[in-house]
Amino acid sequence: MSLDHIVSVTIGGLTVGMIYALIALGYTMVYGVLKFINFAHGEVFTIGGYVAAFTLLTLGVNDGMSAIAVAGCLLAAVVASVLVPMAIGFLVERIAYRPLRGRARIIPLLSAIGVSIVMQQSIILVFGSKPVTIPTLALSSASIVVGGIRIRVLALVIIVVSAVLMAGLTYLVKSTRIGKAMRATSQDMEAAEMMGIDTNKTIAFTFIVGSALAGIGGFLVIMYYGSLKFDAGFLYGLKAFTAAVLGGIGNIPGAVVGALVLGMTETYGVSVDLGFLAWFVVAGLVLGLYVQMVRIPRRRLQHIAEDRRTPEYERSLLNVYRLTPYHGVKTLLAERTDALLSVSAEHAVRLMAGNVFLAVVAAVMFVNANVRIDTRWQPVIAFVVLMVILMFRPSGILGEAITEKV
Amino acid sequence: MGTILELQGVSMSFGGLKAVDSLSFDVRENEIVSIIGPNGSGKTTTFNVISGLYEPDSGDILLKGESVAGLRPDQVHDKGISRTFQSLRLFSNMSVLDNVLVGMHSVTDAGLIASMLRLPKVRREEAAMRVKAREILEMFPGRFSGPRQQQPAFSLSYANRRRLEIARALASEPALLLLDEPVAGMNPMESREVMEQIKVLRDKGYTILMIEHDMHVVEGVSDRVIAMDHGVKIAEGTYTEVANDPQVVEAYLGKRAAEATA
Repeated sequence: MSLDHIVSVTIGGLTVGMIYALIALGYTMVYGVLKFINFAHGEVFTIGGYVAAFTLLTLGVNDGMSAIAVAGCLLAAVVASVLVPMAIGFLVERIAYRPLRGRARIIPLLSAIGVSIVMQQSIILVFGSKPVTIPTLALSSASIVVGGIRIRVLALVIIVVSAVLMAGLTYLVKSTRIGKAMRATSQDMEAAEMMGIDTNKTIAFTFIVGSALAGIGGFLVIMYYGSLKFDAGFLYGLKAFTAAVLGGIGNIPGAVVGALVLGMTETYGVSVDLGFLAWFVVAGLVLGLYVQMVRIPRRRLQHIAEDRRTPEYERSLLNVYRLTPYHGVKTLLAERTDALLSVSAEHAVRLMAGNVFLAVVAAVMFVNANVRIDTRWQPVIAFVVLMVILMFRPSGILGEAITEKV
Repeated sequence: MGTILELQGVSMSFGGLKAVDSLSFDVRENEIVSIIGPNGSGKTTTFNVISGLYEPDSGDILLKGESVAGLRPDQVHDKGISRTFQSLRLFSNMSVLDNVLVGMHSVTDAGLIASMLRLPKVRREEAAMRVKAREILEMFPGRFSGPRQQQPAFSLSYANRRRLEIARALASEPALLLLDEPVAGMNPMESREVMEQIKVLRDKGYTILMIEHDMHVVEGVSDRVIAMDHGVKIAEGTYTEVANDPQVVEAYLGKRAAEATA
């Protein structure tokens, strides 16, 4: 296998993953705040793509135009593919979800499915049921050659633009006033209200931001593939939702990580040999060991009540995670004397089982190094990988954004 | 001294149960008023009605003469009523400092675009808020110093979480502070400390309405005490007056005990 092949497969996987991530962020943010899966979110993405295509077609963009005119058309398409989904996201929340807030969880979920159907049919009514296609531009097929490897410019644009948007979102949530309001609302809506936060406004804002990101995703997809079907949002939405769950629903960096893992799995799974794929399992194993040895123990240490914190106790908690085969198993089998220790031991043994499983899979793959999986198996591979990850990390790669009850 | 809070015949029922029954009382400026009463007597419901979580069925709630009944909780907070909770409700995954900053939400006004662009005005406002948040945390000397301000709230000890709730409620410099069982679950030493803290707050000019079961604390800080039972105010006055009121004794200990003491 050549390096060119691997680089181009990687860029392909990253591109797809970033698109999934843009959509997944909307699912995960809304879930974080409302504990509700907005199943109509995939359609918002489709609408973004359609609106972009419609704008470009209306303006009659083509390569005969001057570069400035083309840039103007693209700018108009971006603006339209952000503003229209924002408006739709806002209206859907206002009309279909807010009146049902506080009801049994299944009710807004049904409403979301209904909204999704309405939106899909509306797209057919407005734009017709044939796929929308934009004229091929020099830009969309342009590529650059780096070190003998040909890379599509648009793929790089997608990766860079998405990364910038995600950085912006992280800043928004972490450091701004409205971001603090979002986090407070997601942890305890009632308490947030009584601390002076207008939660209705905060929730509307969450929908608007998520829809804008999905809209940009739609724009990027129509530019990248040149056409889009009215029901594209279903599959993209499903995959993005999966990515959000995979990364840990409600967790913003998790959605990005989950989407990249999904995009990469889909692309790599059928494009390279098992011997190469095995290295990813090894990487997963390293990550798994990091989680078991460093990340989780560090977090658990914070759970020790201040008045019980002694160096010996901290060490025995760390040993449960770091020397699981001995200390973890021993604690698990011994009489239950300490809640934190025994819960941790159970957790550590589960993590260890996952890591051992990964090691075995890697070994099997190395033995069959030269086999390549047929393309038709792509969805199956993706599914198996997801199941394995979720089986051993039920709350997703980076963990759900669960509020720790105190 | 002006009247800060005035309840006029406030009633609140859930289904057939009258949780609060035509309750009237007032809280004057710079006063500490305690509400006492057995479990289920409607104290926390009263707090929830005042803070806008429920709209009263009838009656009116005035803050400095202006009606706040029927406003949303965030609007009530904007008007100047802030509170703590009987069962702690901190934003537990957020840092200690961020919890206090959320409490200031209603007194800041940086717009979204301005704060994304980090305009100098926003940066100044943010810096000022941080300084103020730290000052508020310093009101609990040694409890929230240095690196502890960056820790997530869930990592704090129980007593510190209670203190942080008070700090968060103070962040907006409310005209009226509602404390729902501020010393619940604390040991005697800790509750004495909180008691001193509450007195300090009064010296700083705060007006406080408090629900409390710990009679030492009620006796120690209250200017006035209101006793409730079955949603009705059964007595009002100084601690000694209320504690010796036969109806109050009966509500706590039963009819026979009340007769025995009479």
